[in-house]
Amino acid sequence: MSEGCPTVGRVLPETLDSALSDEAVLVTYRRMFAALARDSGAVVDDPALVDIAETLFAAFAEAGEEWLTHEQMRHACRAHPVEQFENRLRVLRGLGAIREVFPKPNQLRYRASFTSVVGLMFIRRMMDDGGQSEMHRLLALEDLTVAGPRTTMEQARRSADMLARAFRLWALELVTLTTGTIEELREQAPKLWGTEEIARRAQSLHTTILTRWPDLDRVCTDLRSAIYAYSDASRRAAGRLADSAGTTRNLTLLPAETWRTFAQTATRERLAAVLDGFVFDAAAPWHDPGAIVRAVDEAPRPVPVRPAPPRSALPDEGASSSLAANAPGRFTETAESLLGDRDAVALEEVLRGDWSTIRRVLADLASADLHPEAPYRLAWSDTLSADPSGHPSWLSHGRLERTDGFHG
Amino acid sequence: MGSMGEAHAEARSSGLVALSGPVPPGFVRVGEVGVPVWPDGASPSLLEEYQIAAAPVERAGETRRVLACCLRMCWADLDAEPWPGVWAAVDDVLACYRTMVGRTDDSVRSWAVGALRRLHDTGWIVLSGFGTLRLGPRCVLWTADGHVQLRELMRRIAAPVPSGEVTPVVEARDEGPDEFGDLLGAFDERRRAELVAAFVAVETAAEPVHEARFAALRDPALRRALMEMLARRGRVLQQRRDAWISGYTDAYRVTSLPEAERAVLALVLVHSVAIPRAEGLLGEDTWLSQYPVATEELRRRTLLPIGELEAALRSLRQAGLIAQQKTNEEGAGGYVPGPQFHRLTRAARARLQEELILAAGPQTPLAVAIRAKRRRHEPATPDGET
Repeated sequence: MSEGCPTVGRVLPETLDSALSDEAVLVTYRRMFAALARDSGAVVDDPALVDIAETLFAAFAEAGEEWLTHEQMRHACRAHPVEQFENRLRVLRGLGAIREVFPKPNQLRYRASFTSVVGLMFIRRMMDDGGQSEMHRLLALEDLTVAGPRTTMEQARRSADMLARAFRLWALELVTLTTGTIEELREQAPKLWGTEEIARRAQSLHTTILTRWPDLDRVCTDLRSAIYAYSDASRRAAGRLADSAGTTRNLTLLPAETWRTFAQTATRERLAAVLDGFVFDAAAPWHDPGAIVRAVDEAPRPVPVRPAPPRSALPDEGASSSLAANAPGRFTETAESLLGDRDAVALEEVLRGDWSTIRRVLADLASADLHPEAPYRLAWSDTLSADPSGHPSWLSHGRLERTDGFHG
Repeated sequence: MGSMGEAHAEARSSGLVALSGPVPPGFVRVGEVGVPVWPDGASPSLLEEYQIAAAPVERAGETRRVLACCLRMCWADLDAEPWPGVWAAVDDVLACYRTMVGRTDDSVRSWAVGALRRLHDTGWIVLSGFGTLRLGPRCVLWTADGHVQLRELMRRIAAPVPSGEVTPVVEARDEGPDEFGDLLGAFDERRRAELVAAFVAVETAAEPVHEARFAALRDPALRRALMEMLARRGRVLQQRRDAWISGYTDAYRVTSLPEAERAVLALVLVHSVAIPRAEGLLGEDTWLSQYPVATEELRRRTLLPIGELEAALRSLRQAGLIAQQKTNEEGAGGYVPGPQFHRLTRAARARLQEELILAAGPQTPLAVAIRAKRRRHEPATPDGET
């Protein structure tokens, strides 16, 4: 248990100390805290140890009247190391939280103690809210009890005494926290500080006792001053947090559920009131000339209708014959017929005839050049000859070459 | 805060202010409307030079293209300045826009009309309500360099023949007296330019600007002058580690948002900051958050009518009070507090926290302590606990 944490390990045993003379109470008390005991004399510091106890109790509830054998208990706790399990079981048995079904030697079946299970539920709640809800229940119950016709003055005195002590201890915790670090206060205070409701209930209980048994005025004065001390400590803790809050850190002091409820149930007026008196900038975007130019340039452009490229006016037999020309046979034939026995031939020699013939031959030679497997190459030089009156009127110089020894 | 600072704070928080009587320093009056001007002819264009992000603009591309079309139809004489220009028919502007984007469908028209509405709301154009529009008072803020760029752009935009008679806009323009002359006069030209640059940067950037880039933020003497300049506009300089940004002075406490927008903004703050904070997710002490609230969540779990909610979200988004976060792999899209929350002073942020606690948990010990503290500090104006 960490310092300043108001859990059972510190608060409750002390408030119950007075009753510990009775052996029966002692047994209950031991069983109640068995789930938290590391060995019979101390309190666990590892939450896994409490988990083992809870797992075991759940397994017992499941097993019903069959109870559990040692192997079954081990199986239920298989997620935990065997050593940790055995140690835990020893403690739980030592404190009577788990007992043999029949107190006989070589007993194989075990049962769990109801008290321990209830105790564990109680402890879980105490860990969650530091005992606020327990205090609510306790005050409500005490209020009923002292109003009951059969309650004696002695019982009322004990009740008032116990409550006064609880409030004192609670206040003490808060005072200690308030003088400590702000982080610890922020973390712990909401579990400890009094809601108006608790103070109101305590006051009402005090009034009931004092009205019915005026003789208890001294005890009641004690109780009253304890309640005041507690309220005062709560206010101090809240005040210190309110003063040194940072700018959002205190939002954590209300539980997420409170925030959700607020968002869901608040009216427009109530929500808007939060931002009363806050001034913000009106929308004033700056449209920079450069940004305007960019925006226009980046506008989704209409796709213009593209005119078809102009067609050649020269006669052309069309695509039907040239499709077949993809076959390597045709350009091989053309190349071979031009090369004959030679390995290379100048293009000036072979590109003769009218334009469409020259075009066809050149296209075949280009195909031969580009075909990866055909053994021909077109090698162009950087020069050309021009003859404005001749035909063709200009011609790039180049050669058709055979690239290996392949010969038709 | 002087009345001059108050006029500037009001102009900043309400958009534009109506001015009568003598024009206050730091304003130009365009017709009846006061527009704050930047010292020494500067403009937020300099953010781009420093590669600093300006406050985000809602549907920026579309809005600016529509503005270019307005300009194309209203800027009649390209040899003169764009303002005041002539009245143009809204239909002509829309026709110009349709040609620009090459689409004629209805959605293009409704987007363009939305952009016109936003431009009108922010003072860049004025819609007459009779199917015509003209350039708005903010257009006087473009500088001569800007005019050159825009003139060049105008020549590239195809425009329809104006459908009606061309009527020139007749409007007076009065410059206010020099605002910072006495302060800036004490510095040489370079320092003066540095001061103006830092002034424009902290006033217009989306986030706190790093001091490494601005001598006037690093140098204590220059910074003092900068703070004085800001103070004259009802502003304070605030430091976030080694970055700086301006905000309203704490003395200027007016409620600037309409009720529905305040309510929706409060909702976003609860969902995006308070709840993650209560669940221990938010580490830093800031009102900015990376935990968006889904629009669906806002729609379903609130008493506010949906229409009102949507309208308020739109306005808040345009003002940079909330920011939309895109859906990521985890599907966590939605709204977070916007860049304006960088500008809240420490006191304002602390007060916001208290107001939220008072509203959501009025009976908690913390709320009681806050009310008690306020009574202690402000005995003259008791609020809370009644």
